[in-house]
Amino acid sequence: MRILKGNPVSRGIALAKVLIYKAFKADVHESYFEAGLEDEKYKQFTDALVAAEAELEAIVASMSVESPEKAKIFNAHIEILKDEEVAEEVKDMIFSSHAMPDYAVDMVFTEFALLLEKAKDPLIAGRAADLRDVRNRVLRILKGEKEQNLSSLREKVVVVAHDLLPSDTATLDRAHVMGIVTEVGGATSHTAILASSYKIPAVLGVPNATEIMKKGELVILDALKGQVILEPERATVTDYEAKLQEFIRTEKETAEYLDRIPLVASGERFSVGLNIGTTDPDAGFKYVDFVGLFRTEFLYMQSESMPSEDEQFAAYKKVLANAMGNPVTLRTLDIGGDKSLPYLDIPKEDNPFLGNRALRLCLEHTELFETQLRAALRASAFGPMQIMFPMVGTIDDVRAGNAAVEKVKADLRSEGIPFDEKIKVGIMIEIPSIAMIADMAALETDFASVGTNDLTQYLHAVDRMNPKIVSYYQSYSPAMYRILGKIFKEYNEAGKPISVCGELAGEPLAAIVLFGLGLRKFSMNASKIAHVKRILSLFTLEETENIAERVMNLQTQSDVIAYLKAEVAKREKKLSEAAE
Amino acid sequence: MYSKQTVLKNLTGLHARPASEFVACAKSFESKVTIRRLDMDDAPETNAKSIIKVLAQGISVNTPIEICADGPDEQEAVDKLVELVDSKFGED
Repeated sequence: MRILKGNPVSRGIALAKVLIYKAFKADVHESYFEAGLEDEKYKQFTDALVAAEAELEAIVASMSVESPEKAKIFNAHIEILKDEEVAEEVKDMIFSSHAMPDYAVDMVFTEFALLLEKAKDPLIAGRAADLRDVRNRVLRILKGEKEQNLSSLREKVVVVAHDLLPSDTATLDRAHVMGIVTEVGGATSHTAILASSYKIPAVLGVPNATEIMKKGELVILDALKGQVILEPERATVTDYEAKLQEFIRTEKETAEYLDRIPLVASGERFSVGLNIGTTDPDAGFKYVDFVGLFRTEFLYMQSESMPSEDEQFAAYKKVLANAMGNPVTLRTLDIGGDKSLPYLDIPKEDNPFLGNRALRLCLEHTELFETQLRAALRASAFGPMQIMFPMVGTIDDVRAGNAAVEKVKADLRSEGIPFDEKIKVGIMIEIPSIAMIADMAALETDFASVGTNDLTQYLHAVDRMNPKIVSYYQSYSPAMYRILGKIFKEYNEAGKPISVCGELAGEPLAAIVLFGLGLRKFSMNASKIAHVKRILSLFTLEETENIAERVMNLQTQSDVIAYLKAEVAKREKKLSEAAE
Repeated sequence: MYSKQTVLKNLTGLHARPASEFVACAKSFESKVTIRRLDMDDAPETNAKSIIKVLAQGISVNTPIEICADGPDEQEAVDKLVELVDSKFGED
């Protein structure tokens, strides 16, 4: 038995035979032909374009009924194939430099792919993959090799490849591809996005997988843990077969909850919110009541220069449109010395998480802060929007943040630019010092949202980026629930909305305790929604309150986790007995 | 030579479907057609018939642009393309 590790980008388990997929690899060298053959060589190129178009047309035709979305990818490939500039430059290389057609195609397509990769917009940069895909198709045709793909397989397999191209994944035989392993690729790669939308378990970034793994051998893909198990022992296979059945069962049950109105067993309603960090319209808006955390860092990270007010305004307005009338909580820029921006001087610090970050940094860089606030306030004229400051430690911070908003509001008023006069302004609670005076913070803020990741980090004095001390990062410690209970109580008593937008809101075990402590607004990543709706539906209000009380009086994190697991297991057992 | 200026008003910008429609429209004319963004001093004149070049410009909402054509149907080409841009490509 041997275990390879990688990034689990699409959850699931697969047991199947290995299929090593080696896509056509263009082996192109710098080469030239003798003068006089120009027309012949150029014809080879134009013939290849015609043949490539025919292949693409055939794929589009086979897909346009079943999956018009995927057919679009190939229509885009046809567009690239017909790009005038590309064709002109290839022609020029053939006629003026006597470059062999394959060399000319390789040079020109690669140059254009690099051009696209430089684009600020990740969607455009992503199109470079399509360009390379088309290049490979043309080169393969020039070499006279047949088209090969993963569109019709005879048996169930785990596909192992160096990387998959958009054309490979779009034509994937979904009935037979049980899992995907690639040597390259992270969570945002093309393959990752596709695998999770198809719900195919995938572990990416497994070095040398195509060399280590052997064709036809049974492999276990554990895309929950990020493991590929080679030559598994019999007991391991049996174990995983059971795990797979269990996974399928819970996924199915959970999926049924995605659409439901969130209620606990005794009928009390809670709200589920979404955490987002892009302008993607398909983030899962239809399953939630609000957007509890709109991270705005993406606008700053992907840009070579400070994102302009208009650029931000357009993005914020787009998110409001995506949210379909549900309120959106925009968090102002949350970065510090652990990141660097090309257009802003953020000195490296020894302790960036205790340093000049987030609101502190924004208060220092007034122009940066005011530009974002102006864009946010302008967008607030187009839909319900709230503004939230990260890294608030004192009432001074609250006042400074509020004052900045008031100044920008006054500017906009004098310029006659519309915005929501009643816009709510609140804070993240993630520093223990503000949690301890939540009663006073509640008086000077319209709402608050707890960032449990940073709260855990600051409460336990544990750098969550340091892998050596992960065991000290205890989000299930009794201390966490005592402080959370206090925050919820103070805000609830003040009649101000309180939510949690940190990881804990999306963790089923923690959600039970949070509800018992008085939380009614849970904001999370889309993938967590169904799980939280389901788990809370198993408990009554009174039960969650008793559980919360108990948790706050257990001694250690492991006691808390064991206790919560036992409480869940009791109810799951009842359910499965009732089903039989 | 004939040219006109306008501002891109659709939210998507000149990406994805709008970019495809724009290029397809440009290709339906015989004239040489270029597009240039006016918000940057060093922005190149981009061949409006090249989807890749147009995409690479990354022209987003509210960007002022100039569309220019040179050839037998230059005026019609520019007018049609400006009309397409101003129609927001059917968005909102």
